[in-house]
Amino acid sequence: MGAYVVRRVAGAIPLLILISAIVFTLIALAPGDPLLTMRMENPRAVSPEAIDRLRAHYHLDDPLPVRYLYWLKSVLEGDWGYSSTYKVPVRDLVISRVPNTLVLTVSAWLLGLIVALPIGIVSAAKKYSAFDYAATFAAFLALSMPPVWFGFLTIMLFGVKLKWLPIGGVADLATGTVGALLVDRLKHIILPMTVLGLVQVAYWVRYVRTSLLEVLGMDYIRTAKAKGLGERKVLLKHAMRNALIPVLTIAALDIPYFFGGAVVVETVFSWPGMGRLMYQAVIGSDYNLALCCLMLLAVLTIASNLAADVLYAVVDPRVSYS
Amino acid sequence: MSYWKGVWKRVRHHKLAVAGFAVFAMLVLASAIVPVISPHHVDDMDLESLFAPPSRSHPFGTDELGHDVFVRIMYGGRISLFVGVAAATSSALIGTAVGLVSGFAGGWVDSVLMRFTDMMLSVPTIPVLLIGAMFLGSGLANIIIILAAFGWMPTARLVRGVTLSLREQPFVEAARAAGASPVRILVRHMLPNLIPIVIVAATLGVSSAILAESALSYLGLGIQPPTPSWGNMLQRAMDYILGAAGEWGQPWWLTVFPGLFILLAVLSVNFMGDGLRDAIDPRLVLGSPHSAAASPTSDERDASAG
Repeated sequence: MGAYVVRRVAGAIPLLILISAIVFTLIALAPGDPLLTMRMENPRAVSPEAIDRLRAHYHLDDPLPVRYLYWLKSVLEGDWGYSSTYKVPVRDLVISRVPNTLVLTVSAWLLGLIVALPIGIVSAAKKYSAFDYAATFAAFLALSMPPVWFGFLTIMLFGVKLKWLPIGGVADLATGTVGALLVDRLKHIILPMTVLGLVQVAYWVRYVRTSLLEVLGMDYIRTAKAKGLGERKVLLKHAMRNALIPVLTIAALDIPYFFGGAVVVETVFSWPGMGRLMYQAVIGSDYNLALCCLMLLAVLTIASNLAADVLYAVVDPRVSYS
Repeated sequence: MSYWKGVWKRVRHHKLAVAGFAVFAMLVLASAIVPVISPHHVDDMDLESLFAPPSRSHPFGTDELGHDVFVRIMYGGRISLFVGVAAATSSALIGTAVGLVSGFAGGWVDSVLMRFTDMMLSVPTIPVLLIGAMFLGSGLANIIIILAAFGWMPTARLVRGVTLSLREQPFVEAARAAGASPVRILVRHMLPNLIPIVIVAATLGVSSAILAESALSYLGLGIQPPTPSWGNMLQRAMDYILGAAGEWGQPWWLTVFPGLFILLAVLSVNFMGDGLRDAIDPRLVLGSPHSAAASPTSDERDASAG
């Protein structure tokens, strides 16, 4: 098992290098020239000679593969360059934003599972009941809901009209007791977390339902029932354990989608996280920042794929590690 | 033609699919007709009534420039629905080509293509669309290209799965034994059998393309104002939700109506697609255990663009 994990992680490294080369090339080929922008913003302070010096300093006139190697070297040393929009090192900027995004995505993911599991289980256990139809319809509705709009509606209702919850940001209080700070943060996260989790709840409900229905048709379920076990015990102990395997795998594989969704949700709720940062980097042609955000996204995507595979191997004894 | 008659009969009995079809047809019709017959033109500015709430002369109110919101939503519908249908059709064509080649060729061609498809599928949609928009810039044609370039993967997997199972069918074997060339087998024997599932995938693709367009336009990378689209109308509405002091009584109609129409369009398309999927011969789609259609999420995966 340990060897399997090590092998998979080692296998991810060449993939990551390949992706970094692709992403670097993409960004290098992207239209726009940050140095020219710099000169246009402040023509008196930035002389043509200064631009030339900077071009030489950043190796901008070298061929692309050489530039990539220089970039890789500095990145491995922990230097991601300067953000042209924020005028601070990209590394510091990203480090200050990553926790916010992690908190948001992890809580949305957990919320999604907590809501989707019981609904999916009841839907499958009471197939074709009123509850099942209502859940299916609600899932359709959630899948068809534009997240931006859903976000706006919650802001208008709970933020502006009822004034129950703040309309954006991560926190209002800078100081206070631990309890007050915690409540403040909780209040801020409720709306973005709900909006981010909603679409996935809809997927997962349908997935849990399908998966459980499939298991409920198995012979060993009939055996368990024939033994005289209660309906509840068969469902929760015998069926659920097997039905959960594909569900957990899908849930792990879906983690990158939360980071994708975070771009929109963080923008709607002014949540200072990586999604909004990536959006600002693209809008502002901030190439160093965009590169760093994309690489983080790639790492997260590979990591969640890896996690899904390992999880699968852990929970399903039929999967061999070799 | 009897196969399609059977499909049609089953679709007709699927009430939600019929309702979805009716609503979608109404949206298309209304967005075609209303901008022509309405007394207000899309760019008409009624400077006497800015931010007017819904009334008899402006059923959905007016915006910050005195535009009639109803006419703009209908006009935006032309853009958003066209983008949705065009992008979904293009992705379906690309996906069918990739899936067909992959499933029919097998071997290393199949491995390379499917590896690539899986890679594209595992990357979250919105960031990829952002990068695409950064390269191509905004504008109607570019948005369609971007959405098609990153939306073909579910169709490719679906088509590959069905191609694989079709390849082993007796009628294909018979054609091969009769001396039909691979191209003929592909075009005459396999493609007609793939059309139903491609139609389903394309239908569901319309809904994800409409959602993706709205997200891109909201982020300012899609259709650019003054041309209205449902997404960019939402973007402009955002500026007015909060008002000066975050007080209620703000122009809610600017937010509620464009989003409501996105929801209506996407929901109706989803119901249509679902009904079509149920109506298509299930043996064909679910024939192979390896077919992607067997999994409940894979064929709609990209709908989670938000």
